[in-house]
Amino acid sequence: MLSRALFIVALFAWLPAQANVLVTDLSKDQISIRGDFTGETLLLFGAIDPGPHGPVDGVVVVLRGPGENVVLREKRKKMGIWINQAAYPMGPLPGFLATVSSAPLSALIPDDKRRALGIGTDKLEAFLLDGEASDTEQKAALEAFVRLKHADRLYAENPQAVEIIDERLFRAEISLPAGMPVGRYVTDFYAFKNGRVVGYRTGELPVDIVGAGHILGEAAHKQSLLYGLSGVALAVFMGWGVAVIFRRR
Amino acid sequence: MQIYLPIAEMSANIMTLIGMGGLVGFMSGMFGVGGGFLMTPLLIFIGVPPAVAVASEANQIVASSVSGGLAYWQRRAIDVPMGLILMSGGVVGSYSGVQIFKALRAQGQVDLLISVSYVLFLSVIGTLMLRESIQALNARRLGNPVRARRPGQHSWILGLPFRMRFRRSKLYISVIPPVIIGFFVGVMSAIMGVGGGFIMVPAMIYILRMPTNVVIGTSLFQIIFVTASVTVFHAVENQTLDIVLAALLMVGGVIGAQIGAFVGQRLQGEQLRALLALIVLAVGARLLFDLLVEPEELYSMTPLTAIGGPE
Repeated sequence: MLSRALFIVALFAWLPAQANVLVTDLSKDQISIRGDFTGETLLLFGAIDPGPHGPVDGVVVVLRGPGENVVLREKRKKMGIWINQAAYPMGPLPGFLATVSSAPLSALIPDDKRRALGIGTDKLEAFLLDGEASDTEQKAALEAFVRLKHADRLYAENPQAVEIIDERLFRAEISLPAGMPVGRYVTDFYAFKNGRVVGYRTGELPVDIVGAGHILGEAAHKQSLLYGLSGVALAVFMGWGVAVIFRRR
Repeated sequence: MQIYLPIAEMSANIMTLIGMGGLVGFMSGMFGVGGGFLMTPLLIFIGVPPAVAVASEANQIVASSVSGGLAYWQRRAIDVPMGLILMSGGVVGSYSGVQIFKALRAQGQVDLLISVSYVLFLSVIGTLMLRESIQALNARRLGNPVRARRPGQHSWILGLPFRMRFRRSKLYISVIPPVIIGFFVGVMSAIMGVGGGFIMVPAMIYILRMPTNVVIGTSLFQIIFVTASVTVFHAVENQTLDIVLAALLMVGGVIGAQIGAFVGQRLQGEQLRALLALIVLAVGARLLFDLLVEPEELYSMTPLTAIGGPE
């Protein structure tokens, strides 16, 4: 991850001194998960200054969620039933990753540069945190991770989701599902010309649970005894209350 | 209307959850069973993580057993000393169950533990219930009265040391068997998110030989404390209690139970009991199917630790 940041800095140092061709913004400066949160669509947009290079070839927008370490478990058949057998603890991997672009990534960026920039889920890398696994097993586990994330709509790629208007404006939509992990998200905007980065902007998007859900979540982890006792107290109160109400009738 | 469940970390329909609570509560009110053994699998089927389903369902059972237990308390149909002895075993059992749960969760095997426990218990209970209701239906058709089964002799167990007088049960027996029964039901409660009445009630009748008029009240009485301890132990050890989920299930469950009890008193139960038995068997069969058939996705994922930012 650090190497990726250095690479981008190096890229700009290497390019002739020039103004960044991108100006970017988001439709929201933070995402608040409330009790009625069912997911939402984030609009990412901006302006392109075609001045120095002429029109850009395309724009890529990446929204990356907080890193997480996960255990992937593989079921195998044992004694007639399917049981979790192999475990692969891996990380760090982004909890959320949406990569949207105005054209297929392969048309905009050479493969090796894409790997260096870390653009695209097929270029994800993770370390095995514990135990031993062959390269094939690790690769299969990483592929399963990406597959599971897609199934939860936490990973997405769309080469048509960035719309460029009159070579000067662009807009992209990324849908955020209800189960999105909380934490600090990072946006990366890239403009490409002839396979080179000619514009880059980065920004942050905090995602937090707010309101009652936040209080409950904090209590469950930090005041777990009190939280458990409150659950019991609520249950006693409700059970007793309903019995009283129904007896009166 | 959707609601975000903060611990399950998912969004679910409020009416679905209240409706499920109501349906299971209705059946439990009508048949006098706890309903936990149907609710926990249902929650897992709709996508609630198994660990969250077990803890939150235990919490709901506290509410439904308080509500049901009050009626027996007023009828003086609870043997309190017996309930406390059962509970002492039950609380220790629930603590052990939560520790087993925690250990297997770290190994990634807790889903298997829950599924296998459910397949075993649901098939046994479902078969027994079905057999009983078919016998009752046949007996009614032939016009014969249903003969109560004669309990076997277990007097040597009850004659162990530490004997105690239980006046309301009219018994003078050793406290060892109730403590052991309580312990096992407590372990089961912690692992499966059930009250365990379906094990406790027959055990009281056939092993402890308690009179039937105090059995259900005493079972409910000790279930309150055992499920309360399961709730607290899971909240502390596994942090999987979702109060929002539990509260919605309670709302549906307590109301459903009252309606179910009202309807149950006015209906011939045998056909419905046979239907319940079939539902129990179907849920068990579905869980067994998931164990036997090669899953479409062989991999599953659990978070290891939450770490900071994306860099």
